[in-house]
Amino acid sequence: MRLFILVFFFFGYIHAQSYFVYVAAESDDTVSLIRFANNKAEEIERIDVGLLPTEIEGPHGITVDPNGKYWYLSLAHGNPYGKLIKYSTENNELINQTDLGLFPASMQISTVTGLLYCVNFNLHGEMKPSSVSVVDPETMTEIKRIKTGTMPHGSRLSSDGLKQYSVTMMSSELYEIDAIGLKVSRKLSLDNKMKMDMNKSMDKKMKMMKEMSHSKVKPTWVIPHPSKNIAYIAGNGSNEIIEVDLINWKISNRISTGKGPYNVEISPDGKFLIATLKGEGSTAIFDLENNLKSKTIKNSTSVSHGIAISSDSKYAFISVEGIGGEAGVVDIISLKNLKKVSSVNIGKQAGGIAFWRMEKK
Amino acid sequence: MKKIFFTSLLICFIIKLNAQDKAIVSDLDGLTLNIGDTYIPSTYVSDANGVKSDCQNIIYYNKKGVFSSANSISVDSQNGTIKANEPGNHEVVAICIGDGGKRHSKTFEVFVNYPKIKKVELKLDNNLVYEGNYIPLIYEITDELDVKRVIDYWSTDIASKYFSNISFSLKAQNDKINIDKSNNILAVRVGVSTIEANIDGVTGSIDVKILKNPTSKIELVSNNDNVKTGDVIQFNTIAYDKKGKILNDLPVNFSFTGKSFDKSNTASGLILQDGRFVGDVAGKYIISARIGNITSSKVVNIFERDVKREVKTIGTGLVNDKHTSDFWVFEGVDGNDYAVTGTWGADGTSYFWDVTSPSNIKKIDSVQVDARTVNDVKVSADGKICIISREGASNRKNGIIIIDVSNPYDVKIISEYTKNLTGGVHNVFIYEDHVYALSNGQKYYIINIEDPKNPYEVGMFEIGKEGQSIHDVWIEDGIAYSSNWRDGVYLVDIGNGIVGGSTSKPIAFGNYTYDSGANHAAFPFKSKSTGKFYTVLGDEIFPNGVNPNGLNETAGFLHFVDFSDLNNPKEVARYELPGHGSHNYWIEDDILYVAMYSGGVRVVDISGDLLGDLYKQGREIGYILPSSPKGYIANATMVWGAQLYKGHVFYSDFNTGIGAAKVAKVKPDNSKTNQHLVD
Repeated sequence: MRLFILVFFFFGYIHAQSYFVYVAAESDDTVSLIRFANNKAEEIERIDVGLLPTEIEGPHGITVDPNGKYWYLSLAHGNPYGKLIKYSTENNELINQTDLGLFPASMQISTVTGLLYCVNFNLHGEMKPSSVSVVDPETMTEIKRIKTGTMPHGSRLSSDGLKQYSVTMMSSELYEIDAIGLKVSRKLSLDNKMKMDMNKSMDKKMKMMKEMSHSKVKPTWVIPHPSKNIAYIAGNGSNEIIEVDLINWKISNRISTGKGPYNVEISPDGKFLIATLKGEGSTAIFDLENNLKSKTIKNSTSVSHGIAISSDSKYAFISVEGIGGEAGVVDIISLKNLKKVSSVNIGKQAGGIAFWRMEKK
Repeated sequence: MKKIFFTSLLICFIIKLNAQDKAIVSDLDGLTLNIGDTYIPSTYVSDANGVKSDCQNIIYYNKKGVFSSANSISVDSQNGTIKANEPGNHEVVAICIGDGGKRHSKTFEVFVNYPKIKKVELKLDNNLVYEGNYIPLIYEITDELDVKRVIDYWSTDIASKYFSNISFSLKAQNDKINIDKSNNILAVRVGVSTIEANIDGVTGSIDVKILKNPTSKIELVSNNDNVKTGDVIQFNTIAYDKKGKILNDLPVNFSFTGKSFDKSNTASGLILQDGRFVGDVAGKYIISARIGNITSSKVVNIFERDVKREVKTIGTGLVNDKHTSDFWVFEGVDGNDYAVTGTWGADGTSYFWDVTSPSNIKKIDSVQVDARTVNDVKVSADGKICIISREGASNRKNGIIIIDVSNPYDVKIISEYTKNLTGGVHNVFIYEDHVYALSNGQKYYIINIEDPKNPYEVGMFEIGKEGQSIHDVWIEDGIAYSSNWRDGVYLVDIGNGIVGGSTSKPIAFGNYTYDSGANHAAFPFKSKSTGKFYTVLGDEIFPNGVNPNGLNETAGFLHFVDFSDLNNPKEVARYELPGHGSHNYWIEDDILYVAMYSGGVRVVDISGDLLGDLYKQGREIGYILPSSPKGYIANATMVWGAQLYKGHVFYSDFNTGIGAAKVAKVKPDNSKTNQHLVD
């Protein structure tokens, strides 16, 4: 019996699953490679990124290509344009780079076109329409810049790789781009439209119109469901998740959340919807198969940011920025028992996060 | 079972092989177009056996990307066409998306024919041609699209590149002109000749009248014969005919040879065609002036500049738990002397120091704000208000913090100001109750702080160009000098009155750009010794980016631009320290104090007329190499900035904090040179 237990634990250990994620530290110009195994996360490498040693260039968005060979990083600040940089996952060395627009942020690569779609967030620029940059990662050429709305963020592709979705934070719209035709195919206002009382005076109507032009929704992320024609959007200003019916192209539900939902992702098995609540430093998990039953988990520090979910849908990796000189943190949440199981400190202002791979030990 | 296993393995291998063997084929391969042509490419995928498969979707793009340079070949994705807009070799990429989303891509070279040359015109400058002179021919080449290229006499690099692609020949009608193998044209005999250039089958010609050189004697005069390295000598010529009559407006060529006094060195200097000469290395130099076949020479002696002095570190204030950024030394309202330093990539702390006794620098207070980097700090002239910049605020609002420093031992935050500054403030300047704060690296806002509790925006300046970028701003005499990377320095009237500008209506009136595009700082400098007005422009360059394994390599130098004529600024000199790049600097009493990052603080004599390579001219008075085994990075010099204050050279260092040094009046004790300072 004793032998059996020993053998059981031995094989249990050697067959433990390791999970690897990349996470960017926006105020340290570093990217950390995190390994999570046996309920313990550790930073196994910290990679210096950026091109100017005495400037903080702000690594913001990060993604790994579908075959896992390369990871891509957007640098928010440049002179004045930001950059997209390609690294090898084999040795984390820089391979190539290209300029993008102002404050390039979130991005993803289509499994069909092989192209990378990155939003030019232009977070601090003028309130005018920005764009989505389309890059061929093979040559690192920006092949098209597609105009969308003001402050686009949250670039995610449909599971068939044919549609790219982003939301515009200040014009409160959902954009759908034809990933092959490289043009906007549809857009949808995310405002909670009020019925206009026609009995009100013209002055009051004008005042209402003026107020409406500054949307309170401030959407910051969109994620299409992996198998259903639904997308979920983080309403960062309106404290809600907005469900959009992609077939009828209309809002089908508004789900109240805690303060400031920022990023939102769905587990690959389609069971969980996970949202970081930036304003309260916590993560909300909604059960999509159980009437959106939710649980909120407090993060290790304040300003919750990004989400990466393991390909086996067992763990969510949450980046948490922190404030000032505090270390950024990656919290690991078990999606089996909905509990935080480990945390690891990384560089300051942990932000963009991407799941790389699983490995049997 | 075994058989099934091997069969499966073989099938997998064949499938893999087939997948690998598929390649994209397109008639873009080797395609030649004329400008204006529109073409519909045909592209498909073929396997190793030549079996074709169609692309469900094809995406074409110009490999130069989406910027204006990519217009050479434009792609119409809706119609699947490409259009040739500019001549030359271009790369077009085809991406074929086949069945099941299988992607193949390949880069194809497409050549667009150069338009035929329509007209060749040859021109000369305004000078008369005398026998014995080289003829400075100018080519004006117009193609069939009416694009004109002008290649002047000095642009041999451009001429060489252009003429290598097309047929080119140059000949003279008679032997009055001699053309050498490098196509230099010498007027050898008096008379008339014709020069004929044939470029790609089109001929242009010009008649040249070669005059007899009226000069029989040149008198070469100079304002000095014995000077020091770096001193500029002005040479002038007086030409006489054989009757002794003075001749005017003849073209003169100046040249020099020389020999260094030190046999291990070589003579070096610069002579301009207006007769100004500077010797970089001590030695004997022979200056020659030539008009046609008549020459005259003069010997001058260049002696060592001999400006070395001892520079001693007096005191340091160590910051070793975080990087230190910029600093400012000021006189407090109590008459004592204080300094403020920022921190970089840390926790938003700024430190305040009592530097009344530079040998005993004391940290006396600090302020921590919600930021990761306080890149810049400045204090108002009355010593009451300090402004610190913020980057990396957790709410992403950044902006500036206004601090009451009336009592530097107990500083107090008065207010924060973030309007239009959320993108991060990298540098600030205070001038006459206004803060000039950079916004998002693109422009600067002008903020009134007469009531520091209630600051408000009064103006803004931006270049107004697509892709505008800014790094720093400095104010003197009502003129703002902004450093705008590739767009160089902009001189802006914010109250000087030169062009009627004000804080609410800043007006640009001067600009100078240079090739490196790395303009990071600017400092106005009116030379006490000559009265000339320069703007000194500093680069910031990290040629190899970030080195995660050690010290970062730095590059770049200071460009001395003579702005005496605002409409015609001229770059006349440079200070470049080999192996080290420039950062921030200060100029006072014709002495430059420049932080050269890993090269420490360099103290440089910039008195007199400035011309050529100031480093090579031995103008360096001394240097400071701060470092500490206890530094944030041990023993790693990385000086951020320097400031002369009440006779002491203060500096901030990325890895050690703040320090003060004194430039002695005496020569250095050589036993102490090259010694790193130990905290």
